[in-house]
Amino acid sequence: MCEDMHALLNAYLDGELHGRRLMEVKDHLASCTACHNELQELRAVSDLLHAAPAPAFLPTERFVAQLTLQLPRRALGGRPSKSAAWAWWLVPAGLLATWFFLRTVFALTTAITVADATGLLGQSNAWFTGSQPLEVWFVAITSLFGSQMSAAQQSTFSLFNQVSVFGGDLFSGFLWQAVVVLLYWGWLVLWWFRRAPRPMKVIAAAL
Amino acid sequence: MLATLTTETEADLITRSQHGDRNAFGELVRHYYPRVINVVYRMCGDATLAEDAAQEAFLRAWLHIASFRPGEPLRNWLYRIAVNVALDVLRRRDEEPAEDEMLQMIPEQSLGPESALIEKERLALLQQAIRSLPEAARGALVLREYGELSYQEIADVLDIPIGTVMSRLNYARDRLREMLKGQMLQAESKYV
Repeated sequence: MCEDMHALLNAYLDGELHGRRLMEVKDHLASCTACHNELQELRAVSDLLHAAPAPAFLPTERFVAQLTLQLPRRALGGRPSKSAAWAWWLVPAGLLATWFFLRTVFALTTAITVADATGLLGQSNAWFTGSQPLEVWFVAITSLFGSQMSAAQQSTFSLFNQVSVFGGDLFSGFLWQAVVVLLYWGWLVLWWFRRAPRPMKVIAAAL
Repeated sequence: MLATLTTETEADLITRSQHGDRNAFGELVRHYYPRVINVVYRMCGDATLAEDAAQEAFLRAWLHIASFRPGEPLRNWLYRIAVNVALDVLRRRDEEPAEDEMLQMIPEQSLGPESALIEKERLALLQQAIRSLPEAARGALVLREYGELSYQEIADVLDIPIGTVMSRLNYARDRLREMLKGQMLQAESKYV
């Protein structure tokens, strides 16, 4: 019991105990002479430390005057200006705007392509549709073997070509979005590091 | 007694200091110098060293005030710098403190020559005892006894768990108790 109390006596002396723990120590001290004496000795150490006079240091005004003369003209790395703060917030705003723009363009393109493929646009698609986009491999095959292919084979390769073109569009669409999202995450990480209070240890390491 | 500095005033002085206002920083120094010099002196055990360390601590504070986060207690931030600087200064110094020089700076008060000498010797012994503590235990003890920080604040300043603060304080006081037993008997008759 006294061994446990020993670890708590300093905390008791410093007023750091509360509630049940405080009552336990108080009760123990009332009945244990050894711990009571130990507490008195700890208190005596503390009193001795406080009673020790400090030397006559440089007066405050002189110290301040001397120090002020030695201060560099400006503190290093001042707070960012308002315009810099605005510029900082423009980055995510720009990224979000880019993402919405690309997403909208991609969705519209897909919708128009589907509508065109299903014939919903009728003849009104002439203003935007040119020749059918062709993959390199499709052009090569049809150039070399086109004359020997049956109609069924030609339509199969044509279908593959369309699927390949659609897949390429899909990939490039996602690629753009992925780039934007990655940039946004990067900004979020930077923002978190700027915002989170630096631990004292990190600050002290820089000092 | 230290002049009071309201939270708003302090925050304003900090902001101005962060924008390079030396007068504002001077006001902060004026307010915190007595506390910082006391903590640094108890870490160093030498008045001249302590003044140098305090000056270096405030210079570092000025140079890094931009990194100070509003909402943190400035006192604790300064203590952290001061303790680190004090330890740096001690490490840089090759020789032991010149005792005579240290004793010369102790005010005579109203003691007679013999009593004054005893008092100086007592203080020298006390400072020696504090200096003999390991740095970690000394830092916790000085911040508690002279910096008047709570255990939680000491834990924040030294970046250690609160349990470690308690064990360091236990160790420091136990060591001092052993080293200063004779002095405590004298002190009992004098201060109690």
